[in-house]
Amino acid sequence: MQLSRREFIKSSIAASTAGVVGLPVSRLAAAAAAELEKDWKWDKAVCRFCGTGCGIQIATHQGRIVATKGDPDAPVNRGLNCIKGYFNGKIMYGKDRLTQPLMRLKDGKFDKKGQFVPVTWEQAFDEMERQFRKTYAAQGPNGVAMFGSGQWTIHEGYAMNKLFKAGFRSNNLDPNARNCMASAVAAFYSVFGTDEPAGNYDDIEYTDTMVLWGANMAEMHPILWSRITDRRLAHANCRVVNLTTFRNMSSDIADLEIVFKPNTDLAIQNYIAREIIARDAVNKPFVEKNCVFATGPYDIGYGMRATDKYAYPAEKDTQAKEVKVKLDKWEAIAQRRKEGDVVEQKNTADPARHWMISFEDFKQGVEPYTLDFVAELAKGDPDESLDIFKNKLRQLADLYIDPKRKVVSFWTMGFNQHQRGTWVNEQCYMNHLLLGKQSMPGNGAFSLTGQPSACGTAREVGTFSHRLPADRLIPNPQHRAETEGYWKIPAKTLNPKVGSFYAKILRDLEDGSVKWAWVQVNNPWHTHPNANHWIRAAREQDNFIIVSEAYPGISAKVADLILPSAMIYEKWGGYGNAERRTQQWRQQVPPPGQARGDLWQTLEFAKRFKLKDFWGAQKVPGLKADGFADNTLPDVMADAQKLGYSPEDSLYKALFATPENLKVKWPDAVAKGHDNHIATLLGDGWFPEKAFWIEYQQFGKGKGKDLADFDVYHADKVRGLKWPVVNGKEVAWRFNEQYDPYVTKGAGIEFYGKLFKAIPTGNLDGVTDPAPKSLAGKAKIFFRPYAAPAEQPDASYNLWLCTGRVLEHWHSGTMTRRVPELHRAVPAAVMWIHPTDAEARGLKRNDLVWIESRRGKVKVRVETGGRNKMVKGTVYVPFFDEGVFINRVTLDTTCPISKESDYKKCAVKVYKA
Amino acid sequence: MNISGISVSTRPEWVESVAQSLSAIKGVEVHAADVRAGKLVVTLEAPTVSAEVEGFKRIRALPHVVAADLVQHYFEEDGEIIHAIPDDLDTLEGVSVPDALKDH
Repeated sequence: MQLSRREFIKSSIAASTAGVVGLPVSRLAAAAAAELEKDWKWDKAVCRFCGTGCGIQIATHQGRIVATKGDPDAPVNRGLNCIKGYFNGKIMYGKDRLTQPLMRLKDGKFDKKGQFVPVTWEQAFDEMERQFRKTYAAQGPNGVAMFGSGQWTIHEGYAMNKLFKAGFRSNNLDPNARNCMASAVAAFYSVFGTDEPAGNYDDIEYTDTMVLWGANMAEMHPILWSRITDRRLAHANCRVVNLTTFRNMSSDIADLEIVFKPNTDLAIQNYIAREIIARDAVNKPFVEKNCVFATGPYDIGYGMRATDKYAYPAEKDTQAKEVKVKLDKWEAIAQRRKEGDVVEQKNTADPARHWMISFEDFKQGVEPYTLDFVAELAKGDPDESLDIFKNKLRQLADLYIDPKRKVVSFWTMGFNQHQRGTWVNEQCYMNHLLLGKQSMPGNGAFSLTGQPSACGTAREVGTFSHRLPADRLIPNPQHRAETEGYWKIPAKTLNPKVGSFYAKILRDLEDGSVKWAWVQVNNPWHTHPNANHWIRAAREQDNFIIVSEAYPGISAKVADLILPSAMIYEKWGGYGNAERRTQQWRQQVPPPGQARGDLWQTLEFAKRFKLKDFWGAQKVPGLKADGFADNTLPDVMADAQKLGYSPEDSLYKALFATPENLKVKWPDAVAKGHDNHIATLLGDGWFPEKAFWIEYQQFGKGKGKDLADFDVYHADKVRGLKWPVVNGKEVAWRFNEQYDPYVTKGAGIEFYGKLFKAIPTGNLDGVTDPAPKSLAGKAKIFFRPYAAPAEQPDASYNLWLCTGRVLEHWHSGTMTRRVPELHRAVPAAVMWIHPTDAEARGLKRNDLVWIESRRGKVKVRVETGGRNKMVKGTVYVPFFDEGVFINRVTLDTTCPISKESDYKKCAVKVYKA
Repeated sequence: MNISGISVSTRPEWVESVAQSLSAIKGVEVHAADVRAGKLVVTLEAPTVSAEVEGFKRIRALPHVVAADLVQHYFEEDGEIIHAIPDDLDTLEGVSVPDALKDH
């Protein structure tokens, strides 16, 4: 009986699978599928994991998820799922799921040195509020902070952004997405004047050349990888290039594999640009009509603290590079300076400033990047001959330049988590723009993302310390005024001072300038580099840390208060993926125990405060802006009263349950019988997710960021829509008249982004005419030089360490590692090392070793084979495993422009444990 | 019981050989193959989640397999996971603090 049922289920699943793949299904198997699923309720949803944004179908039965499948109608994944997708239905049911608020108590009272004890929501909010008021009274808006997330739903991010910026008047809210794609954003802003890619995933099927720069897509974006391998196998002329610092799974199908040294991607791209010019292959009509040339300062530091006050003794020599850099031979040539020159880093305060230059200047900038120079600098595998490497670089340039070829460049963390992340992103556009291969089907530089809503929530909603919704910026008075208008709050409520970025919030906790911090949907103490500092700051300083979590990870462990969160399908939500596709889903199952959606937590906390607590004058040290008294936010209460507010109004009433929003009623027919635990718990008859959507839609309307109505995303036939959605139609390729209604009629291509489109003029060495000159409608082609990594292997720390993900685990593993058997059975993270490097240290496979940097050390097992083939001199350790807490070892340098951390390069030593 | 439906891709000339190596993996059954498209449809059955993941990794690591993608996952009878969460969690008494959160 058991066996036959099993066979029955198998043939049913085989039938569904064959249907997706396009193979014929037998009538018997189809009947089995129908019988098995007869009591199930299927609904569409989005995968919880990476930035690809695969559609999935979820089957529920009696309040539980019983099956999931790739959504055959989803254009992203066409019915397929990767192994992480397999966990979507399981992650909610782990053994140590948090289901009750937990607080550190001693003798029944909060105590930082106490043990976690279950408490009620009421007790949790009471202490949270008490601690918040204490800090806010002493330190004002600068003293509190929020670690947000690229895994927040759009609605959650929107609400918290509003609570912090409009309610608390604090811009100390920054997402973990800072460490994932801030460099991509900075380059989108500087090059195009608007965030997010021009193209979409269909570029894969339109192109004949795909170049992967620091993106191991075979492991990190498997579904897109399937589309790439399908394209490659079906088209003999198609070529795939994998640029990487060690041999990985993406090399398996690559026609060309280029292994380079860390940071030398900067030089390789300039080599390609130099070749484009030398071969007279610049697409002159495209460049003259659509582009200008630009550059900026080189001496911008490495995003570390300017002082060594907090550095451990061993760290001081690396930290010193923030102040002064002695040029090595390569940097000297690359930057047209002298070897050994000591360069003071004078532009750390404003590293993003840039100016227009001439084509002749640009040409002079890339002139040193000859094949000989770049090959010698960049060759990453000591066992490869220089001639072979040169030949590979030449082939790469050939592929880009061939006028008959379409080219798509893909990248993720290799570019973004980079001490010159913004530069290297800009360089990728540089080559596509020089060739005119941009914003057309099958042609374009395509920045992929790592998190499911890094685009949809972090970027589009603007949950960063310097952003507001839909490409608006905190320092821009007009953008603040527009936001205050949409939010119906008094002028000058918003704080004009940019808040602390992610790394800085951690540094603020260390030096005591932030004393109250809340974390939602991310795990800062596990995932931020140089973790020993931040763990000590959290546990040993006088501060209060709240972590909203579903499972106990490292951040929950260092917290003072843990709030149990509802997980993805236990709430309504929406994500935006890497191709501008916005997708929404309904609550499928109820959250367990006392777990509650993050949105509910935010709204309940807002009920505890009144307008008079924040909208009076506030001290903000360092605030300096037109129309504001120095160091002060004005009292806006009188203006608020004119708008109909009372000082006694709660933030919940003033910002969220507004008269307009209360008109958006729950229950709503769009739910089709699905519940909404947040609307039910609030109990005042409104539908917060839908109300926030309507509010949020206003920000992008008519601004190139138009979104469709809430119900449209929930319609049966819709599988997400790529914004801007204009007159009900999505936009496939931005900036291209054929597809994008925002382009002026007859313009063909128009880079209409509005930010940073008036800049000074100068040459490679600096500004010559400070008067801003307009470049409306155009993109910038940047010259950016090679810069050496801040820390490189030396006699004491003689190996490079690179970190990242592995296929079957995701980020810090708090979800994928909680499925009980998996937690036990999957081996802990290993360190991949070249067999010769292992042998030289007397090590063999499976040996336990210490891996140690200037900052810390962890124990890990040696792996000399398997999926990653290291080059001599480099080791790789994934970061998912809290048992191999590799971020104790990593270096917290950032791209100085984007403030995104570089996890890909620091110096370590390895020895037997 | 965990059962997954998986689509496996290979070059057309390897379909037959990949089908043979797939069948040799414990818990794997080949249900359909299309030589021209280089696609195979298999099911993978495993008693635990980790065995399921291991089996999937083994499929992916087979010679000539260029991609393996999951299509459907069924886990109705995965009682250990589904029932790991106690039914009554609304009172503080039912809650235990996970070991990971205890200071040792």
